[in-house]
Amino acid sequence: MSSLNKKLILAFLFIFMLGSFGFYIIDKATKSRIDNIGIIGKVPSFSLTNFDGTVVTEKQLNDKISIVSFIFTQCEGACPIMSENISTLQERFASSGDIQFLSITTDPDYDTLDILNEYSSNYSNKNNWFFLRGDILDVIELSEKGFFLSAALLPAGHSTRLVLVDKELNIRKYYEGTVESNIFELQSDIVTLLNQG
Amino acid sequence: MANKLFFRSALISTILSYLLIFVGGLVRVSGSGLGCPDWPKCFGRWVPPTSIEQIPTHIDPTAFNIVLAWIEYGNRMLGVIVGFSIIIMTVIAVIYFRNNSKILYSALWSLFLVGANGGLGAIVVSSVLNPFIVSLHMILALFLVSVLSYGTIESYKLINLNKFSNILLSKKISISLIALWGLIVIEILLGTGIRTNIELIAIDNPLYSKGQLLDALNSYKYLHSVLGFSLLFLSIYLCYLFRDDFLGLSKQLIYFIFGMILFQIFLGELMIFFELPQLTRLFHTWGSSWLVGIIIILYNTLQYEQS
Repeated sequence: MSSLNKKLILAFLFIFMLGSFGFYIIDKATKSRIDNIGIIGKVPSFSLTNFDGTVVTEKQLNDKISIVSFIFTQCEGACPIMSENISTLQERFASSGDIQFLSITTDPDYDTLDILNEYSSNYSNKNNWFFLRGDILDVIELSEKGFFLSAALLPAGHSTRLVLVDKELNIRKYYEGTVESNIFELQSDIVTLLNQG
Repeated sequence: MANKLFFRSALISTILSYLLIFVGGLVRVSGSGLGCPDWPKCFGRWVPPTSIEQIPTHIDPTAFNIVLAWIEYGNRMLGVIVGFSIIIMTVIAVIYFRNNSKILYSALWSLFLVGANGGLGAIVVSSVLNPFIVSLHMILALFLVSVLSYGTIESYKLINLNKFSNILLSKKISISLIALWGLIVIEILLGTGIRTNIELIAIDNPLYSKGQLLDALNSYKYLHSVLGFSLLFLSIYLCYLFRDDFLGLSKQLIYFIFGMILFQIFLGELMIFFELPQLTRLFHTWGSSWLVGIIIILYNTLQYEQS
């Protein structure tokens, strides 16, 4: 065998090895995305009122991918950014009927249904985004024990995290609602969950 | 002695840079670019965390994915290795080749480009993978391997004084080769433009299938195909111009270029019909970087002949 042929064979072998390595890494990365949204907990039963007066319970979360957040309308720091980000997500996933958003007020004394209704019209343009209120004690319990999110010194002390909940009411992951890279992450995780069916 | 030393370090830098482009492409196609949310450290550590407990409290662990973190960090580590390799090459050039401007400037330019591209890597991360900046990161890498290939072949000529080719660098050949190189750079820019647009469309339309993404692309995706076939014809013409090269090296190189362009077209079609499998994308990008370097090597084997 001539040395050129030997070199060619070695080169092809090397390319083949690189290809296999690339394939392995890509496969590993794809699988890691699914592993990375493992089940953290289960959403407990709750009963809250939507801004249009309808009662929303945990059953509303069945068969939908839900993004849950805690906000209040007078909040000037994080909430507008969070709601703006959720609004962007709502727009981007508008063509899917499998996704919904729940924002729960941590200031039910001020946030009447009328005020929530007005707030909703500022951000939401589809009926898959619920703005919910309930008894403050229930909200605290839901936040702390249901979603494992701190709820000290409400209303302002609410968590700024978004919670990803799958179609079986499993809590899958948390995202900082004001951080762009986290929203990016949330978006790709929603796609991963959708592709899983 | 010094000639051999520089040639070796230039060759190693070139090979490592090509590997770096491969790994960088792997980061892009596997979507690991945000595997480390900070830069240059990864989750505040010089060695990326292997478990979530190792992440310092001031850093948000939401995005932590051990696989993606190590893929991204692998790219950075290889980048550092390339950086050191080019520093060594530059030191050799400054010590022994102060009077050889070809060698000296190729080393200094590589050093500048590798440094600039490392810095751009930080902006890639802080921009949350802005597709324009990611593409610019890749284009700078192409310039880097071009300059390195040039330095490598120039130093190879210093230690290997026998002829590589009996083909003279005629005006016809010179213009055709420069045109081929320039058009390939344009073709790569078009290709990165397509990739950038696909990513931008995908951010706003996360539910689009790959087919819908291709449909949503503007019409210069066709320009990419048309130019691809034009490049193929130009390389066939060059094969014809090199037909009498009985010494062989330039003939082998031009055949390789022809084969590579053909292979690139094949990969391109594969991506359209099999909806962009990631591995195909990776080799399509990597192959284009090969073409850029090989044409420079071919051109300089001929230049030697004439002088």
